[in-house]
Amino acid sequence: MQNRVISKKDLAGFVDDLIKTKAAGEVIGIQAKDSKFNFGPLKNAAELRLDYDIALLPPKKYFFPQIETVLKYEFGATPKVEPVVNDKAMCLIGVHPFDIRGLLLFDAVYGGANPDANLMMKRQKSVIIGVDCLTPNPKAFAASMGTAVTDEGFDLMLTDIGNDYFVTVGTNKGDSLIKKAKTKEATAADQEKRDKVRKDALKKYQVTLKMKPDEIPALLDANWESKVFNDKAATCFSCGSCVMVCPTCVCFDVQDDPALNLKGGERYRRWDACMLSEFAKVASGENFREHKEQRFRHRMYRKGKYLLERYKYLGCVGCGRCAIACLAQIASPAETFNLIKEAK
Amino acid sequence: MVMQLSAKQSLHLPRIAELIRVEKLSDREKVFEFKFDDGKELGQMPGQFVEISIFGVGEAPISVTSSPTHRGSFELAVRATGSLTNKLHTLEKGAKVGIRGPFGNGFPIQTLKGKDILFVAGGIGLFPLRSLINYVLDNRKDFGEVNTLFGCRSPQERLFIGQLQEWNTCKDMCFLETVDRCSDDSWTGNVGVITTLFPKVSFDPAKTYAIVVGPPIMYRFVIAECLKKGLAEDHIIMSLERRMKCGVGKCGHCQINGLYCCQEGPVFTYAQVKSLKEAV
Amino acid sequence: MKPRVAFFDFTGCEGCQLEVLNFNLEIVDLINVVDIVEFREASSDHSDEYDIAFIEGSITTEKEIERIQGIRNNAKILVSLGACACTAGVNALKNFYTMDENLKLVYGENAKWYKTIPARPVHSVVPVDFFIHGCPPIRGEVIRLVKCLLTGKKFELYHDPVCVECKLNENICVYEKGQTCFGPVTRGGCNSICVNSGRHCWGCRALVDEPNLNAEKELLARYNLTVNDILGKYRIFNGTLEVAKS
Repeated sequence: MQNRVISKKDLAGFVDDLIKTKAAGEVIGIQAKDSKFNFGPLKNAAELRLDYDIALLPPKKYFFPQIETVLKYEFGATPKVEPVVNDKAMCLIGVHPFDIRGLLLFDAVYGGANPDANLMMKRQKSVIIGVDCLTPNPKAFAASMGTAVTDEGFDLMLTDIGNDYFVTVGTNKGDSLIKKAKTKEATAADQEKRDKVRKDALKKYQVTLKMKPDEIPALLDANWESKVFNDKAATCFSCGSCVMVCPTCVCFDVQDDPALNLKGGERYRRWDACMLSEFAKVASGENFREHKEQRFRHRMYRKGKYLLERYKYLGCVGCGRCAIACLAQIASPAETFNLIKEAK
Repeated sequence: MVMQLSAKQSLHLPRIAELIRVEKLSDREKVFEFKFDDGKELGQMPGQFVEISIFGVGEAPISVTSSPTHRGSFELAVRATGSLTNKLHTLEKGAKVGIRGPFGNGFPIQTLKGKDILFVAGGIGLFPLRSLINYVLDNRKDFGEVNTLFGCRSPQERLFIGQLQEWNTCKDMCFLETVDRCSDDSWTGNVGVITTLFPKVSFDPAKTYAIVVGPPIMYRFVIAECLKKGLAEDHIIMSLERRMKCGVGKCGHCQINGLYCCQEGPVFTYAQVKSLKEAV
Repeated sequence: MKPRVAFFDFTGCEGCQLEVLNFNLEIVDLINVVDIVEFREASSDHSDEYDIAFIEGSITTEKEIERIQGIRNNAKILVSLGACACTAGVNALKNFYTMDENLKLVYGENAKWYKTIPARPVHSVVPVDFFIHGCPPIRGEVIRLVKCLLTGKKFELYHDPVCVECKLNENICVYEKGQTCFGPVTRGGCNSICVNSGRHCWGCRALVDEPNLNAEKELLARYNLTVNDILGKYRIFNGTLEVAKS
């Protein structure tokens, strides 16, 4: 597999072809939404905004939809039950490296032991065309999480090197797709340009984690009783904004919805999360994380320790979405970890 | 990437089972016996649980109360507390439900083989424990001495009365019972909380594993008693309750610190529980 | 036998009933599974024989107290439908004035012919089995309650704040646009419909179970709102709450 260089004009042609031919399935791309950006079905290449800072919701929504029907059933003497899996092929264009790291965590959670057909069948049929983030959001801290650049999890990775995009080819699938476009072989000089652009972008991150990410688990281990959790949680709304926008929040609720004709119904799963007050409540009424301080701490441990220890991927990729979404201004894991470290 | 998956492997897809027997245990509890439509066994280990579905209502995690030595069907004993369990209590023989599982680690049978066992059950903690007690009685020669203590709040809340009767006269184990309080003379047995039974049993702490299942408040006192008697922390085994929604380590609801109760649990040693921060 | 359903209107705009009528095709499915025996907005039928009573509007006269007690006696299940029934809604704005002031303001010289009492939610007069919040209530929630009653599934109020659905709907936060919003303390279940259509949350579905009102006050203050502005905002739909009083 040979890395390529593509002119901006030819990239637009390539994208329009993907949309027209559906060669890689439905084309989803990053586009403007009022003053922000979001992923959505792409009508043409002109809509694509590869210069964006952050998408409102991470691209996980295409593999793990906000609400997803998983079963359909008909009532009766013996109920008829059918699994529902929508695994249409998709091509996502413009995924940032930290969001790709988020998808890799999903692969580890949903593809490891007890693989989940609903999520993994979509993943297996998808193509990911990433783009390096050169204009990070002021609340992002991916540079210090080691997630601002990735060398896995994409089929193709685009880097804006001026008049052209450098195309890093990640898989054979990506290779055969880009071969259909008008490109040049990347030279050593092109690669140097890419590396410099990436390096310069790292310096644009305004929030810094004041430790190496792999030091977080030990920091948390030693600070279960930290006052920081209580101080921060005091103004928490338990509104769930931080966890709803998170690319590494993997949890869900399952509910039944009978049809009004009472002939059958469906079972769906919906994003749910540990910052919401009833998340750990059992049928008998006991709530194992009743207080917002406990929930706040649990989230920080998930982000900094639990997921890493279980799945080898940190539960935070430093995208900064939670910090943007949090009205109480308490959600940024980097800020909490830094405060704990400074309090020591 | 993982192997090729198909929709038929959906983690959410239950197997259909028929309710073949319902028996009232008390005002709030019933035992339900199920048989899979495809004739297959559940294949559970004692201490494991299933997710039971009533279509249109939902799913709930319920521990299996029958022993795997009982073939052809399985039993779930259920207190009516939530949406699904209340609906379940209205079902009659012949009703069809969905079953996923068995899930969870179950009790450590291999570790227990050749050892003496002290069973301690409080209230509906008897439900998961009953599976193991009957398993041990059915494989009696594999285990050492067995003592069983059961306590509930009042004589009216005793469960599986026929079974308690059997255990009472059973020569294979020493069975003691108590009720927290009794206001009439319908009960001639021991009155007092479950720890009042401890002075009445003798066991060798070095050879004994205590298996304790009951409400959170009971754990505190029973564990203290076990430790006082000289049991090692990893010889005290308990089963924890959490909101196990998916049963397959995905949905996150049952997480205790970094562990998933539906995967690494629901059975834990006290040594493990002690090292966890939010377990009990 | 199909359960018999009745709708009753008290003090309110009857918009809740209109919203129920808006079910379109679902109304056909609905009348296949329940008998609607009283529904002033849709039918002239009248009956005192019903199982489920949906109450729209708040209680604002002595007469209404008697009437709601009668309905409670007849109904097996009584449901508060909409903000006026659930929290006294906008009607509670009058509670911040004396009743004489209100009568004069509304009826002028004819005030002496009328009587009124402070607006109350239905559950402060008779026991209520279920609440369907909102101004107007969300159709889907009425349907969900009916389905729960028919299938034996427990009807649970949506407990998360509006922010959850608002994020799922990929809205840009109202605060990021420089406006204020009651989403973080208001019970969701509305699919964040107001924010989806470019507005902010007014709090019509009442507060979540554990609202962090201090944090909300802090947040509103950060947007340079005075205590009076904030109270005014609370009072539109949550006037009967302690927090709106001082």
